[in-house]
Amino acid sequence: MKKYLLAGVAAAALALTPLVASAVDGGKGVKMVLLPKFLGIAVFDQAHKGAEEAAAELKNSEKLQFLGPTPENSVAGQIEIVTNATTQGVGAIMISNNSGDQIVPAAKAAHDKGIKVVTWDSPIPTAEGEDVFVAQVDFKETGKVMADMALDILGADGGEFAVLSASPDAANQNSWIASMKDALKDPKYAKLKLDDIVYGNDQSEKSYSQANALVDKYPNMKLIMAPTTVGIAAAAKAMQDAKLCDKVKISGLGLPAEMVSYTMNGCAPEFALWSFVDLGYLSYYTAYALATGQVKAEDGAKFHAGRMGDFTITKDPTRDKGLRILMGPFSKYNKTNVEAATK
Amino acid sequence: MSALVSRLKSWEGLLFVLLVVIIGFCIDNSPVYLGVGNIVNLFQLEVEKIIVALTMTLLIINGEIDLSVASVMGLSACVVAWMFHHGVSMPVSVLVALASGAVAGMFNGFWVAYVGLPSLAVTLAGLIGYRGAARILVEDRSYGGYPQWFNAIGQHPQIGPLTVSIVVFVILFAVVAITLHWSGFGRLVYVIGNNMQAARFSGVRVKLVKMSLFTASGVVSALAGLLYAARLGAVRGDMAQGFELDVITMVLLGGVSIFGGSGNLAGVGLSILVILNLRNGMGLANITGNTQTSVIGALLIISVLAPNMVQTIRNKWKGRLT
Repeated sequence: MKKYLLAGVAAAALALTPLVASAVDGGKGVKMVLLPKFLGIAVFDQAHKGAEEAAAELKNSEKLQFLGPTPENSVAGQIEIVTNATTQGVGAIMISNNSGDQIVPAAKAAHDKGIKVVTWDSPIPTAEGEDVFVAQVDFKETGKVMADMALDILGADGGEFAVLSASPDAANQNSWIASMKDALKDPKYAKLKLDDIVYGNDQSEKSYSQANALVDKYPNMKLIMAPTTVGIAAAAKAMQDAKLCDKVKISGLGLPAEMVSYTMNGCAPEFALWSFVDLGYLSYYTAYALATGQVKAEDGAKFHAGRMGDFTITKDPTRDKGLRILMGPFSKYNKTNVEAATK
Repeated sequence: MSALVSRLKSWEGLLFVLLVVIIGFCIDNSPVYLGVGNIVNLFQLEVEKIIVALTMTLLIINGEIDLSVASVMGLSACVVAWMFHHGVSMPVSVLVALASGAVAGMFNGFWVAYVGLPSLAVTLAGLIGYRGAARILVEDRSYGGYPQWFNAIGQHPQIGPLTVSIVVFVILFAVVAITLHWSGFGRLVYVIGNNMQAARFSGVRVKLVKMSLFTASGVVSALAGLLYAARLGAVRGDMAQGFELDVITMVLLGGVSIFGGSGNLAGVGLSILVILNLRNGMGLANITGNTQTSVIGALLIISVLAPNMVQTIRNKWKGRLT
């Protein structure tokens, strides 16, 4: 009896919400390419893991191709991979764009051939040639989260800080920094002073030396905010090596496994991130649903992405012509929870 | 028959066999390899480098090297970006960018030809200096939004299935081939590369030849930079960074001696085909990133070692016989 009652309630609930997102059906073979900014970065490997999980759930008979350029050849390499995937006639390409608008001609060529182009992690700034962007978090919120962490670490007295970003053309980092600047206008953050923005190109050595250069240039700087997992780890190591952790703190977006020692020894007391495994998982579901024609890339389209639940495609508030799917939320890490997060 | 055998024993013969093997692998591996679109892309994805490799061949045969080519490419792209975004018309910006390449090339040439400094040092300074100038112009921004005709040059087929960039390469290849192998100037390039002192004493105008070659290298690099900007549709300060090594790889694999005086354009042409087909084949086989780089690196190591080793072994045998 109870069973029937539950079924009845469920049916009623279904009837009451006619716009319920339908689950993505698996079983079709679709060739798909997952293209990170470049190979050899832990978070991209995690995204790959998540995408493989989704591929297994959707029983895609075609093996997922995880292809990426080398860091020093990122722009030309991404274009080459997108072009070759277009030649091969794959069903969908998932790009974490590191080439700014330089990827547009290649992405457009793919899109014109009927290939679904999904960006994740970092979108195409003009959205040209792109179907939809799977946003890890709300880009406006990222700025606020960074401003809040700066305030947490520097305390009510505030102080000077600087930003150590990835490459100057990384669309994601650039819009996070812009949204942080916006957030800083709030009187709440009046005592925070942004000295400079420098770029480590997501290369450890370059980021390390940029962090040291900031210390030399701004003797009163008390914090380096690095919205990139490579930059934050390199900056924390630089401050630890220079024995400056008491004077200059590090924060930003970091991977718990890479940051745990710096958080425990006080160099990087607080940082934030989202799950890259989930991001890879959701990107795969999105690209698969688009490529199999189950979902159209248009404002208001809904679908159900496995264990992560329902998502809606909406207009991207940070890019005029873009569409996005918002994942979220942020996880903040500090001494109390960072060790657990590495397990 | 024996003529054919001796042909195949030469470096170009070896490259030709290698090319056949690679193309065989590509055809076997991917059904889309032979499509017109793919063959065009195969050239298009590296077209700027192979254009610069042509003038690099002349310089290396002449006993010099130009490490600044990629920085000149970046500089000319950034000059165009900066000028266009400061309201200068596109054709004028393009001419100024080409002129900037000529000036950069002449500057290199002056120090090498007239002052007598080693080109390795001079153009290394150029590599750093011209890149710096490019970065000052565009700072950390990305400049796009060029006129449609400019983007079309790099992105869309204009002449049959071919892009303007590929046609530029074909024309330049013919010009360089004629200059190097069928002109008096070409003979001077070899003579100087073989023995600069002897050439100087026989009244060859060494300075003028070197100056012309460096200037040509500058102009052609600037042109390649513009084609690259047109292909990507957006310019930033790190454009073409590191390309000089790929360009030099193509020339050396072509059998051009790094010490000057020997090598020919046919070898470089074959080496270009080998590298481009290898890259494309690996791309279509979903081999990317470090694996791809390592394979091409290994190819270069073998290309530098193999001829020397063969020579050493031959000499040893000769020593035994006499």
